[in-house]
Amino acid sequence: MRPSSIVFWVVFTISGTWLQSVLPGVDFLAPGFILAMQEEKWTVPVWLGLIWLFIQEGTGSLAFGTGLLWYGVLAGLYFFGHWLFEARNFLFMFILGLCLGTMHFLLINVMVVLQDWTIPLQRLMMESVLQTLIFPIEWGLIYLIHQHLPVNNHAA
Amino acid sequence: MPQRIAIGLLIGLFLYLGLFTWNIRTGYVDTLASHTGLEFARWMLAPGKWVHVQATSFLNRYLYFVGIRQENDLLRQELDAAKVELSNLREDATEVERLRRLLSISPPQEWTRQGARVVSQRLGPNAALETLLIDKGSASGVNINTPVVVPAGVVGRVLRLSPNAATVLLVTDSNSHIPVVSQTNRTQGILKGLGPDHDLTMQYVPQGAPVEEGEILVTSGLADIFPKGLPVAKVTKIGRSGSSLFQVIDAAPLFAPRQLEEVALLFRGPAAASQNAAAGAAPAADAAGPAAVGPIVKPAKGHAKTGQPAPSGVSPAPAPAPAPAPAPAATTAHPASPAAGIGPGAPAGPHQDVPEGTDVKRHRKSIRTAPR
Repeated sequence: MRPSSIVFWVVFTISGTWLQSVLPGVDFLAPGFILAMQEEKWTVPVWLGLIWLFIQEGTGSLAFGTGLLWYGVLAGLYFFGHWLFEARNFLFMFILGLCLGTMHFLLINVMVVLQDWTIPLQRLMMESVLQTLIFPIEWGLIYLIHQHLPVNNHAA
Repeated sequence: MPQRIAIGLLIGLFLYLGLFTWNIRTGYVDTLASHTGLEFARWMLAPGKWVHVQATSFLNRYLYFVGIRQENDLLRQELDAAKVELSNLREDATEVERLRRLLSISPPQEWTRQGARVVSQRLGPNAALETLLIDKGSASGVNINTPVVVPAGVVGRVLRLSPNAATVLLVTDSNSHIPVVSQTNRTQGILKGLGPDHDLTMQYVPQGAPVEEGEILVTSGLADIFPKGLPVAKVTKIGRSGSSLFQVIDAAPLFAPRQLEEVALLFRGPAAASQNAAAGAAPAADAAGPAAVGPIVKPAKGHAKTGQPAPSGVSPAPAPAPAPAPAPAATTAHPASPAAGIGPGAPAGPHQDVPEGTDVKRHRKSIRTAPR
């Protein structure tokens, strides 16, 4: 991986963590996971996914496993989806965002029930809507930035 | 091809369920995630938070100084009133000591405190509960279920932790259940959160039990987590619901969750105090935040024996009021530190005499199950 890419992913991770503290309940790192699968070697999304998995699991209040399902299903959706759609299509990203929003609602609900907890459904619904809207927009932004990185060699 | 995918999915599901169950049983992966992800987030967010606090402090000090004189006069008046009150309370405290000796009641256990800075509110997509991220962790002696307070009252308790960070479950979360007692009428109940931007509710109070609007609810100490007598909420509404056997009591929390910048952690016993003192003595910790360490309630067994009044600033508050008991060590605290004025308002009962420290396995289980 080139130094510019390393800097990009480090800055992205820190910015994403900050944004998650500003807008809790929304995953700001997930668009980067998709971008890494699109633009980098397969090892990069694996390492980034592992790091981000521990960040999300560590900062969250649920038992370990939610993030694993979250990123696992996201990777699965991308692999299955890019057979049907153009991988860098905004519409595809919007559909992915919609799937993520729905998954956030279902996944958190299931995990909360498994741990015998209760959470306000209205807040969870709002988070899901925000996730749906933010995912494609953020992906578009970081895709543009990644395209303009110096000496960028696209692996995909 | 579809068969391979199906087999792959089945194997993945099997591995996932195995990992999930193993982690629920042992908590190892949770610990690993806390020690990596939580720690990373703490070090990423803390510098920015520090800059924000410094900038806000600068603005408050140099730009918004209008009215400082009037505020100073007001504070002096309040200080005078507090001095008078403190003097009266000392008298009461010595009386309590005498009566306690007379009745052979064992003195309450010592509690010490340590300041911590709030790094973030809820963080990340998996933050399902109402939580705070603070910059103190197991390296500072923090443990699961360590009480977290501000001068106004109880904030919550530690839910999970890493060496230098901890997640605090707020009392406003709907999974928080705290045994409380009304301050004036001594009516007991369970205080339950109802989620963000909602009041709390006091449950299981029988019809006819005396509770007044405006009454402060304090911790009863029955859960063996919080010291007895810490203010938690103020009763705002009392009603009844159909044929229910219990009253419907709403109570407002005594702090604004989104405005918290510093909190204080309460530790049980002198062992924790020495550990905290070591942590608080670190210059970096002092520079970073309000690492005030000092006893809150010093029932002073020796004084009880000798019958002499407790020394200045360490007298136990005789009533379960939010009365601050400023300790000598607390004078080293950051001026704005909430640690300077936090303390259990009343001595804990004999039931608080439990072994020092907490059972890790039990607390791991408490993370994985309902955080009651």
